[in-house]
Amino acid sequence: MKRSWMKKMWKTVALGLTSVLAAGIFAGCGGGGNSAGDTKTLKVGVTNFADTLDPLENYFAWVVVRYGLGESLTKFDEKMDTQPWLAESWSVADDKLTWTFKIRDGVKFSNGDPLTAEAVKSSIELVFEKVPRAKTFFEYDSITADGQTLTIKTKTPQPGMPGYLADPLFLIVDTKADEGRDVRKEGPICTGPYMVESFVKEKAVMKKNPNYWDGDVPFETVEVDSIDDPNTRAMALQSGDVDMAVNIAAGDMDVFRGNDKFEIKEISSLRDVLARLNQKPDHILSDPKVRAALISGCDRESYNQTLLRGTFITGSAPVPPSLDYGFDQMKDPNSYNPERAAKLLDEAGWKDEDGDGIREKDGKKLQLHFVVYNSRAELPIYAEAVQSDLKKLGFDIVIDTVDYNLLDNIGIKGEYDLLISNILTANTGDPELFMKGYWMTNTNGDNPQNGSGYSNPKYDEKMHQLSAEFDKGKRRQLIMEMEQILLDDGASLFLGYPQTNIVSSKKLTGVEMYPSDYYWITNKIRPAK
Amino acid sequence: MKRFWKKLAEMLVTLLGVTFLTFCLSVLAPGDPAAMVLEAGDHIVSEELLAETRHEMGLDQPFLVQYGRWLGGVAHGDLGLSYSAKKPVAEKLMEGSTGTFFLAAVTVCFMLIISLPLGIWSAVHRNRWPDYLVRVGSFIGVSMPNFWLGLILLYVFGLKLGLFPITSSSVTAKGVVLPALTLAIYQSAKYVRQVRTVILDELHQDYVVGARARGISERRILYLHILPNALLPLITLLGMSIGWLLGGVAVIEVVFSWPGIGNMAVHAITMRDYPLVEGFVLWIAIVYMVINALVDLSYAYLDPRLRRTLGKGGGN
Repeated sequence: MKRSWMKKMWKTVALGLTSVLAAGIFAGCGGGGNSAGDTKTLKVGVTNFADTLDPLENYFAWVVVRYGLGESLTKFDEKMDTQPWLAESWSVADDKLTWTFKIRDGVKFSNGDPLTAEAVKSSIELVFEKVPRAKTFFEYDSITADGQTLTIKTKTPQPGMPGYLADPLFLIVDTKADEGRDVRKEGPICTGPYMVESFVKEKAVMKKNPNYWDGDVPFETVEVDSIDDPNTRAMALQSGDVDMAVNIAAGDMDVFRGNDKFEIKEISSLRDVLARLNQKPDHILSDPKVRAALISGCDRESYNQTLLRGTFITGSAPVPPSLDYGFDQMKDPNSYNPERAAKLLDEAGWKDEDGDGIREKDGKKLQLHFVVYNSRAELPIYAEAVQSDLKKLGFDIVIDTVDYNLLDNIGIKGEYDLLISNILTANTGDPELFMKGYWMTNTNGDNPQNGSGYSNPKYDEKMHQLSAEFDKGKRRQLIMEMEQILLDDGASLFLGYPQTNIVSSKKLTGVEMYPSDYYWITNKIRPAK
Repeated sequence: MKRFWKKLAEMLVTLLGVTFLTFCLSVLAPGDPAAMVLEAGDHIVSEELLAETRHEMGLDQPFLVQYGRWLGGVAHGDLGLSYSAKKPVAEKLMEGSTGTFFLAAVTVCFMLIISLPLGIWSAVHRNRWPDYLVRVGSFIGVSMPNFWLGLILLYVFGLKLGLFPITSSSVTAKGVVLPALTLAIYQSAKYVRQVRTVILDELHQDYVVGARARGISERRILYLHILPNALLPLITLLGMSIGWLLGGVAVIEVVFSWPGIGNMAVHAITMRDYPLVEGFVLWIAIVYMVINALVDLSYAYLDPRLRRTLGKGGGN
């Protein structure tokens, strides 16, 4: 009795296990990714943070634009200049408040509804109604629609208006079509080349929008896989599981460089990695000579070219070279020069009296706390490199690693000597907010992000001019002058600017990488002939 | 019946305690969910906007009010809305759990296929070359980091041989093989030793000596007498492994782009997504309770001695 029960059990278990294994292996044998010559389906590997496609939630609108679903009135080109998209042209009246946008004729939403100024109006109004973040871009008195003409009257002069409307938050959706749809899974009805077939965070399947307005749409289907691990993403591209991948990691780039099966599009992003320097009166770094010594003691070229293998561009100015603000014309008085740095420290009265390698002054050690977080791989590398370079000059740099969650508060309270930052400088196409937030004088907490104590009346004066200046050329000039002030003052240590990339199989053409990181999938991407 | 109610009350108290503690820890941990949501865009966010968002999320309420609200929701079957995913926590958990269940099931199968025969083989050939081979193998298996093994398997079977897809992204039979194998190799390395020890223990029991004396073949002794007896301690271990697997295996999920609950949990903690963290903790607590109950039940079923004692105990 017992024997037969045991036998039966083992038989069942063995059979079950074998079939699971067999199923796996047989299923596996059919695999091998995208079959060669498939010109109907485009497969893309990315990292996706959005759980739904509702553009009104968090930053999910970015994904709607990245995936080629949604479009906005304007867009950023490869130099971050604002270009027409769904709006053909625009102008601002003499009152500097009334903006008139001419909405492109003949554009249809993917459901066939025509794109009118009225539709644009209700789309923008919906954003302001539902998203508190919208009013950080601009606030309006009225929006009126007449045929294809849209008029927005802002409350205060907004020189950056066309760029604000390029933010994915203001992508244009057909608000009438939202009823009865689950926008979160089906996506909003927009005007992009592709439309949603199915969506979960890990995988989006999109099909061609038959009503697309800007030329033909080459692929019947687009599949986007979210592959969080960078090694796996690179392998998926190598194996042909995906035809293109966004952001291949530094360590994997060598596989694709010089490989004639792949095309690399690499560009400096809009990010800036910098160390904010606390120069409040009672801090060591309040002495401009010590700041200058600190900055010129850091061999930033070797951090970026050697340690980070050229995946970052060497830092010098506040605004990255991806933006057209005369990066090469800036003069950094504190470029790498350890002899000068040592001399400056001597002049400032910091000397190593006790021979322990660390300088001191009035019995106080030259010890500085460098606050960093490590969820971005490059930040601890920078911090350690700075620590090691400055040790040679007699600085004792203590690295305090904190959770990213704490960073903001530490920055506001100014509880640091050096504070790492990896920040987007110009998500609206213009670095005004960035330049204001970090360096405009903070009087009694009216500019809380500037917790460093940096203050220069000349800088503030130019900042005020900038916020009211509409002329593009003059804005550029002002920003460049402000950058030069920051460099001359040794306001911060600009470490580097990350590069971003899209690597694609040579089976594709038309893949482009934009500094704004909003436009991944377009109808310009097509099978190579 | 009385025992059932008592058990249920115990479970409820445990769940209450676990969720309350988690809530305390989440709130005590520095960080601001509103800032995490807003700063996902990585640019400078104004204080007014932060305050407004905090208010909207109910984060300006006192701690106990926040917990009370959450608890009230749970009592009505509503686990709240995830801050980062902007969808109901229950929905988010459901999405992850399909993948997690499937991966756990296949992993356990693979694990048994690998560890049982090897463990037995090694015990039977104690201190001879098969034993040494298995022991060295298991030593290597335990020492290898999970994600590294995963990447190696991906490289060999995915990229070089093209047998399996590199990315899974959805729950498929094809996609589960490599992640399950990675986990199974790691787990088996531990199990092989356990199986070996348990079998060795049993080999020296009186009943084995008796069976041998009666001239029963070694094979029959092994499969019909020793194995059933060895099952009991192994089931406890298995229960714990299943609990661990059902809690999600974040690293493996990331490496294989496998949609599961583990990566979701890690993300929820980094993002200070309190409702999602609470939902996950509730899930884990329930999984462990159910598994413990099942393990207890299986004891009673598999071991007649226990069944008898339990039967008596139940009557008291």
